Amino acid sequence: MDHAAAQLEKQHVHDVYENTAPYFSDLQSKAWPRVRQFLQDQKPGSLIADIGCGTGKYLKVNSQVHTLGCDYCAPLVEIARSRGCEVMVCDNLNLPFRDQGFDAIISIGVIHHFSTKQRRIRAIKEMARVLVPGGQLMIYVWAMEQKNRHFEKQDVLVPWNKALCSQPLSESSQPGRKKQCGHPERSHPYQPPCSACRCPVCFKGRRDSRRSHSVDRDSALAGTCCANISKEGEEENGFYNTLGKSFRSWFSSRSLDESTLRKQIEKMRPLKNTESWANSTISTQPSRHSSFDLDHPEPFSTGEQNLDEEVFVETSQKHLEWLRAPATHKHLNGDHPRGVRRNGDGNFLGSTNTRENCTDAGNLEEGTPSASKIWRRISAAESKDSNPGDTISVEEQQPDILDSGAFMRYYHVFREGELCGLLKDSVSELHILSSGNDHGNWCIIAEKKESCD
Amino acid sequence: MKLLTHNLLSSHVRGVGPRGFPLRLQATEVRISPVEFNPDFVARMIPKVEWAALLEAADTVPKEPIQGYEHDERFLRKMHHVLLEVDVLEGTLQCPESGRLFPISRGIPNMLLSDEETET
Repeated sequence: MDHAAAQLEKQHVHDVYENTAPYFSDLQSKAWPRVRQFLQDQKPGSLIADIGCGTGKYLKVNSQVHTLGCDYCAPLVEIARSRGCEVMVCDNLNLPFRDQGFDAIISIGVIHHFSTKQRRIRAIKEMARVLVPGGQLMIYVWAMEQKNRHFEKQDVLVPWNKALCSQPLSESSQPGRKKQCGHPERSHPYQPPCSACRCPVCFKGRRDSRRSHSVDRDSALAGTCCANISKEGEEENGFYNTLGKSFRSWFSSRSLDESTLRKQIEKMRPLKNTESWANSTISTQPSRHSSFDLDHPEPFSTGEQNLDEEVFVETSQKHLEWLRAPATHKHLNGDHPRGVRRNGDGNFLGSTNTRENCTDAGNLEEGTPSASKIWRRISAAESKDSNPGDTISVEEQQPDILDSGAFMRYYHVFREGELCGLLKDSVSELHILSSGNDHGNWCIIAEKKESCD
Repeated sequence: MKLLTHNLLSSHVRGVGPRGFPLRLQATEVRISPVEFNPDFVARMIPKVEWAALLEAADTVPKEPIQGYEHDERFLRKMHHVLLEVDVLEGTLQCPESGRLFPISRGIPNMLLSDEETET
């Protein structure tokens, strides 16, 4: 199980970050305010660790403390280093620190990348271990319950497509300014101006326009909003998520947690015909009958990426208007939402979508398949299941969107109370001080209990 | 990598436990990077430092913090220099128990272990 978990994380977390790291060098993402506050509240002279620091945006928030950044991804760490931060490469599951060395630790958008409950617990326990008694730990994870987005499963893959970044991030150079995004080289009716450069807005517009026009639009879209996405305050996750949203963004991943596996196996048994298979396919949301359903106006934002409530609210009405615009589904027919298939590689995408609904239920019963077996099985299943009348291969329709450069990032999105539950049940050395929701993230501040020796 | 960071690092090779601290530092390239001196900051760091480990890593360090170090500017400046300004750019960190080497390149220590080596 752990091997499968490590494989999944390698493919859909580590490799993705490694490959997309170059796009981050220009990002000027701002820190989350509450995280900033937590860091600024630490006593001067504190030793702080940012576990999963990425390019290091939290490392210089407080000059009165010494913050060490750690990340599994060497390219991201190199970027942080080039910005003058003290950083290292290591694994959250095996922190190379002596016990009780740090006064405070932050883990922002990290734990949700671990694919089993055991690993998530282990990550938290490791951080607790290296905290001094009385020291505090802040954890942020992506919430399953989103205001404007609907995850139907907890284990998801969120796509990132570098085609959307063809004119990257050197354009994203105005931090802190709200400007109109979507300055298109060509203009077209469905690209609304937005008063915020937080992307739900931009993305909505872009997506709409893409749908109503030829797929070649992509190049027009690339670099416009993309550049604005992470400007104001997203961390890299927000950046990724925003891009993912552009094509309706998440796919179901298999859960590697044993209890979920068992449930899945049970669920799958009755699924013998394609129709019910299609109906229960998770993949894209929100509605089942159309992959990219624009009839359900939902301003897009993921928790992580949406930030300032006020800003968002201002524009949300506009979102709705744009969404109602009669974007046609010329290129996206097919009543069966499906993931996208990839050529060649045989990795991910279409596979992951259909995995859970694979009529190959038999195979799923064999204990815990390794990740690679999962992929192969799925491709087989998918071809079996494809309805001839169905133009599903989204890939054909949108070659620019999901070319072979597409990456999918794995997330286990947390339900309300899940993070707290995890600490209470499995990490008794931590005492929860506060918890809540911050723009689509479940967050917790916990304190290391004094030892009872 | 600063020596303050080194002071926090410990080997997590399976079975090694607390004997994995401190890591033996071999620096092949070092740079001195000036950092603004903040006496209060340094004074607060002193009690957090594992002194023996620091001694091993930097032989220019006094045997122990002197009495009244909080107000001894000379001492604090020296510690400031050792903890924060010495930057190991290239070198290795060695687990004292298992001998396993962790590289430092471009100032970044890489502490990743293979699955076989870690405790899981």
